[in-house]
Amino acid sequence: MERELRDTARRLLEDKTVGVVVGYSWNRKKTRTTPVFVTKPEDAERLIFNPLCVNNLSVYLTRKYPDVRALGRIGIVAKGCDIRNIVVLMAEGQIQREDIYIIGMTCSGVVYRQELWEGELKPEIMPTKCHNCDVRNPHLADTVIGERVSFTPPETPQGVVFDRIREIEGMSPSERWEFWMGHFSRCIKCYACRQVCSLCYCERCITDKNMPQWIETSAHPRGNLAWNLIRAMHLFGRCTFCGECERACPVNIPLNILNQKLAMVAKEAFDYSSGYDPEVHPPLRVFDPEDREDFIK
Amino acid sequence: MILRRDNIKRLVELVTSTGGVFVAPVVDTRQVVYRAIGSGEEIELNYILPRNSFKEFLFPQTEVIARFSMNKGGVDLENMDITPPDTVIFGARPCDTASLPSMRAVFTWDYIDEFYTRREERITVISIGCTQGDDDCFCTTVGLSPESRKGADIYLLETEQGDFVVESVTDRGRDFIQRYEEVFEQRGDVKTKALFMPERIDGIDVERIKGWLSKKENYQSPLWAELARKCIGCGACTFTCPTCHCFDIMDEAGLLEGERRKNWDSCQFDFFTLHASGHNPRDTQFKRWRNRFMCKFNFYPNKFSSRGCVGCGRCIRVCPVRLDITEVMEGISKEQ
Repeated sequence: MERELRDTARRLLEDKTVGVVVGYSWNRKKTRTTPVFVTKPEDAERLIFNPLCVNNLSVYLTRKYPDVRALGRIGIVAKGCDIRNIVVLMAEGQIQREDIYIIGMTCSGVVYRQELWEGELKPEIMPTKCHNCDVRNPHLADTVIGERVSFTPPETPQGVVFDRIREIEGMSPSERWEFWMGHFSRCIKCYACRQVCSLCYCERCITDKNMPQWIETSAHPRGNLAWNLIRAMHLFGRCTFCGECERACPVNIPLNILNQKLAMVAKEAFDYSSGYDPEVHPPLRVFDPEDREDFIK
Repeated sequence: MILRRDNIKRLVELVTSTGGVFVAPVVDTRQVVYRAIGSGEEIELNYILPRNSFKEFLFPQTEVIARFSMNKGGVDLENMDITPPDTVIFGARPCDTASLPSMRAVFTWDYIDEFYTRREERITVISIGCTQGDDDCFCTTVGLSPESRKGADIYLLETEQGDFVVESVTDRGRDFIQRYEEVFEQRGDVKTKALFMPERIDGIDVERIKGWLSKKENYQSPLWAELARKCIGCGACTFTCPTCHCFDIMDEAGLLEGERRKNWDSCQFDFFTLHASGHNPRDTQFKRWRNRFMCKFNFYPNKFSSRGCVGCGRCIRVCPVRLDITEVMEGISKEQ
């Protein structure tokens, strides 16, 4: 699989189909994977692909990275879940299909966090998204690398995140408040959740708007609540549940619960799941007279 | 002297019952963190390094530095009275304690920041030599080690039995041991556990890095983009770093009254250097990353006698894209 990936990347760089391939490589000690920008054909040998390749590299496709765009047309190594984000970027007019070359990787799952890796991909170290994945064979790509994976996601979604959602739904409003305020109180306002997210591409985030200051930047409970809620709202119907924000969070705030719940609401209210079709716009971006109205009570 | 593990609880009681604050490693949401505790039961002593540095007890992430209110006659300003409690930092690691002189240097450099110094005057730092570590520890590469007493008032070494051999490092440490003498015992025949020495990374030469960074032409080197392009511009590294100290002043107000706050800020944020004109001298992310590296290995050692990086490795562990500072140090050490 890696051989094929490297050969493909080298060919793309040699014939100038792309100016850069954004992919994964090893760190110095070969214990963790890290993003790499390959611009020379001979450096294609640095590319790797394995269950430690957790990063959603589509973040580098956004307008936040003019220096990556300056390297030329971008070839991107992407798993199905990463491609879902690319699809949203296309649906929202952030990138044109022809501006990128998608090297789709078939995938049997990744680890929730690289620190959990002990040499073998076991179900218990995989994130909830992998257990319910319907894009293990990339749904949109210029070329697909790897053998076709046969995997049918369970009919009823399964995993820790869904268990937790059910648990929270059983709580009283004050218990829920306590649950979330407890988690948000740890927030250090590092904005890793925003920065790692390819759908948080605003050049000026609302929390950086300070005339007036809409969102308090202080890491006190009020400011932390405001930040985490506004981010969740801004991702409604757009978030693909790739899980990058929760993985990036240095204080372990369970953002996947929030995001998956929002995805469930989007599905329920608008029959919409993000990241499958670039021609269909996210629900809060379009006006449709056929929209149901009975969900607002 | 010996501090028996069973006596730590008593020490917590003695300190907190007289109005003091006792900070120690505890487990919270699958992580070990430094936290002010109410009882010694909470302490977790099986840890490599807490997720946070203890700088937040000297330099809080957010703090009110003034209040203001408007009335018909004008604006009333209210200063904040800073009277911090006596604070004990227990179970600090030698890398973290080594950051104290670095913080002090910057907060007392051209202006005495009393919000910092008054707290620092009231802390007693008790460090424990590391008996465990991980791949990301690199203190030995920046000239420190688990044996370093720098910044500590009392230094502890764990014994085979799980108790601690006590060594007072400063007068403050000696005073502390005297004040709480009932929990300390005379040293018997004990054997201490071996310390975890991170392997020194051969390819790194801190002096050479400083030399390369000092050359103006290298500021525009293409190496920066190559080594740091993947940085996504979050503040996780700076906020967990024990020596990063940048802050922003923010007003939070209603219609007629409000407060002025001092909040942690990060040179990794794209708005950090944005000018009012709209111009941003650090317009791409690798330039912001370059600044953090320059700060640690050039500005700091040139301006102060203390170090900018203590090799704790937190920035490596928390980085969502695994941008490993030691790999950049290695890359630059190779340059002429």
